[in-house]
Order: sequence, then C-alpha cells, then structure tokens
Amino acid sequence: MKDIIHFKFFENNDILIVVALIFGILIFASTLFFIVGKVKPNANVKELKDRTKSWWVMAVMFIGATIFSTKISYVAIAFLSFVAFRELYSMLGFRDSDRRAIFWAIFSIPIQYYLAYIGWYGAYIIFIPVVMFLLLPLRLVLKGDTIGITKSMASLHWTLMLTVFGISHMAYLLSLPTLEGFSSGGRGLLLFLVFLTEINDVMQFTWGKLLGRHKIIPKVSPNKTWEGFVGGLISTTIIGYFLGFLTPLTDYQVIFVSFMIAFSGFVGDIVMSSIKRDVGVKDTGETIPGHGGILDRIDSLAYSAPAFFHIVYYLAY
Amino acid sequence: MQKIVLTVIYSFFVRWFLKLIIGVQFPKAKFLVKEKQFIIVANHNSHLDTMTLMASLPSKILHKVKPVAAADHFGKSGIQSKLSGFFINALLIPRKRDKENPENDPIHKMIKALDEGYSLILFPEGTRGEPEKEQPLKPGVALVLRERPHIKYVPAHMKGMGKAMPKGDNWILPHKSSLKYGEPTAITSAEVESILTQIEGDFRRLKEK
Repeated sequence: MKDIIHFKFFENNDILIVVALIFGILIFASTLFFIVGKVKPNANVKELKDRTKSWWVMAVMFIGATIFSTKISYVAIAFLSFVAFRELYSMLGFRDSDRRAIFWAIFSIPIQYYLAYIGWYGAYIIFIPVVMFLLLPLRLVLKGDTIGITKSMASLHWTLMLTVFGISHMAYLLSLPTLEGFSSGGRGLLLFLVFLTEINDVMQFTWGKLLGRHKIIPKVSPNKTWEGFVGGLISTTIIGYFLGFLTPLTDYQVIFVSFMIAFSGFVGDIVMSSIKRDVGVKDTGETIPGHGGILDRIDSLAYSAPAFFHIVYYLAY
Repeated sequence: MQKIVLTVIYSFFVRWFLKLIIGVQFPKAKFLVKEKQFIIVANHNSHLDTMTLMASLPSKILHKVKPVAAADHFGKSGIQSKLSGFFINALLIPRKRDKENPENDPIHKMIKALDEGYSLILFPEGTRGEPEKEQPLKPGVALVLRERPHIKYVPAHMKGMGKAMPKGDNWILPHKSSLKYGEPTAITSAEVESILTQIEGDFRRLKEK
C-alpha cells in the first residue's frame, strides 16, 4: 500500500505552494462570479460559472491523480489520451473497413504508456512515430478496401500522434531521472506544464474579452484576437517566471520555456479549431460543462507537452 | 431476484462500461418514474441500443420494462430464450403476424405484456440495418398504440452506436455516441400512417437536437 500511495506532497513545499495557489485562484474566481451574479443579475455569468465549476473538478482530479501517486498518474493520463483519441476519431468519420486498424491504434495506447512508465526512452519515442506509423497502413491494406485508404492512413496516424504521442509526454515527465538538487522532480515539471498551459488558455480568453479588437485568424477561430494572444503570452511568461522553482532551469531558460508553452498552446488550440470547422461542429462534445469535450480542454496540451518536454530534456537532462 | 440482477448489471456494469469505455453520453431517465406505463420507441442500429436504453432507466422501474426482440434471433433455442428473458428481460415476438392464432401473434403479445403492467422498448425500424442509416418504420408500434391509446410513447434517438458495434461485426469499438429522449407523447390519431409520421417527426427533431 505504501508503494501506491505515498504522500510526497506533504514532504515537498514547492508543490504544496502551487497547489495552494491553484485552489486560491479557484476560490477567488468562484467568489467573484458569485458576487457579480448577485450584484448584477442581468450579467451573463452562467458560462463563466460553469467553467469555474468544471475547473474545480478538473483541478481536484488532476491534483489527486498526480500528487498522491505517480502510478495512478500514468493510468489517469493514459485514460485522458484514450478519451481524447475517441473524441477526435469519432469526429473525423472513418470508414467501416477501418475498424480493425482503429482497434490497433487504441491498443497502442497502453503500450505507449507502459513504455513511458518503465522509462525506456528509446522505445517510447519511436513507438508511435515509427512503429505505429508503419503498422497501421499494413492493417488497412490487409483489409483490402482501397477507396479512401489514403485519407484513413493519414488521419488515423495523425489522430494517434496528437492525442496519444503528444499527451504521453506528460507521463514521461514523471519517468525522468532524478536530478541532484532538484526536489520537485517530474511532478513539479508536470504541474508547471499543465498549470501554465491552462492558465494561458484562461489568460488569452480574459485578455481577449477585455481588450480584443483585432482578429488573428477570423476564418478559423473568430474569438481569437491579437490582444488576447499577446496578453496571454506576456502573462503566462511572467507567471512562469515566478513558478520557476518547480523546474530545474535557470531564470532565462524558464522565461523561454514559459513563452514556448504559451505559444505552442495557442497553436494547438487553433489547429483543433480548424478541424472543428472542417467537420462542422462547435465543441468536440459535452463531457465538461461550459468547456465542451475533453479535446477542447487538452488541445493546447497536445502541442505544449511535447514542446515543453523536449526543451527541458535538452536543457536539463 | 431478477430485479437485483438487472439492477446490478444495467445500472452499474453496463452503465459505466458504456460511459467510460464506449463513450456513450446518456441521461438517467428519471422523468419515466412519473409515467405509470410507457412505450419507448427508438431507432435501431446496434446491439448496444438496448443496453444503453436499459442502462439509462432508473433502477426502480428497470424490471418493469421489457425490450421487444425478435424470437428467431434471441430465442433460437429454449435456453437462449430463457437467458434473454432473464438477463435482458426481453419480450420475444415472432416477426410475422398470425391472426388465426392470437397466442403467436406479435401485436397480441405486446398488448398482453402492457395489460400485465409492463412497459415496452420497441424498435419500429425492425432490424439494425446499415450503420447510421434510417429505415422506414414498421406498423406494429402504431397497431399497439392504437389499441391502448391511454399509454404514452417516449421517442428516443441514438447516434453513433452503429459505429461502435454495427450489424455483422461482433467487435465493439469505442466510439462517441449519444442517446436523447423526447417528451412522453400521446397519439393524436387512430390512423396507422399518421401515428408513424408523428413518430418519424419526433425522431427527426431529436436527431437535430
């Protein structure tokens, strides 16, 4: 039992500070929207209230799964990948003859996360980009239905890359070797990544609502403005700088990596928006009230996780 | 005994399997507790349809609801029909009408079950057919509703289930799908044609919702 649940959480002040900060922000947001709702009954705060409520649930789940036990974290992140994969592939409209290949793709999720769990970096980093890339077309070819096969090959592997390979970098953070003098370890890095990516989404949304005038790419996402984008970049970089104690990086490296999280998160967001435009849906689902589907929440992470991981891996490991 | 088994299977195992693994979004149909008796009328694409409808029923009324199934498919042998009767609570009916012999007539069997106090789940499209394609409705549902006009029907529409487990493939694949219920409705006419048109209209509205 001790092996599964050890409360490293209480032994590590750095992580504890950030957890307290997260709950502080949530309490502040809930109180704020509650008061605004009471004072100005006409103000439309329902969406913001729903979003905050969902943030509570997500924060508690995430903190519960990562802080208490790393083993549970691998399973939880793998499940997150699975749900995201399911949402995305269901949207893309595959042929009935693709069912076996899709089954293989789903089967690769536990393998990928097992490789991350045992920390076999070489196998982990090539499994989806090389092995599955070569195997999935084979399974499709064996089925023999060639009409539309190119699209199936391309979109199936792309879905796997985005929702499984990208997201699994979150799990590999936990398998990184311990560095001397850096006590927060993989959990600290994971907390840093997720917190900054999500705060960047919130900051972009907030700055966009407050000052947004000039649209960046109106054809893809009409709500994205230059003001929101730049405001998000700056606030996220500043917040990242102050949370640098969660990483083993120097000050300048932390600024760079925070900037890259904000930037790649934005890219992930608009890439997913463009797909939703293509298939003609507004949200990817109704799984999380106020947010849409799981994909709407982790689209930025699918981009920021690999970007963050590989920069940190290069700089510090 | 059967009530407990059904509750454990559908309100727990099937329910969470569908929600977590397959990715079906469905509500708990609490509003059905208020209706004394009803006929759920749903579109049919997959074996998962019945599972989902049963999993969405409140456990209080679960054992009082019988999905109507084809005897030639679910009751090939005596044992199989016993199993379908116990674990799916199925009401097995023959596909063809038999007016000479009421004991063997599908319409008569359904009305009898209603008179015994059961509610029904009916798939008026008949077979599952091609995944995600609609088929014309068969008149059976209208014939039953016409005989017992005080019983309301509840339209239900499912999407994506035919992709998760289509006809002709026994592999279940996770696929995002959903079940939506409409309001309990009484029939407004005794004409078979207009009852069917009414139900088709309900399906269309739910599909767009």
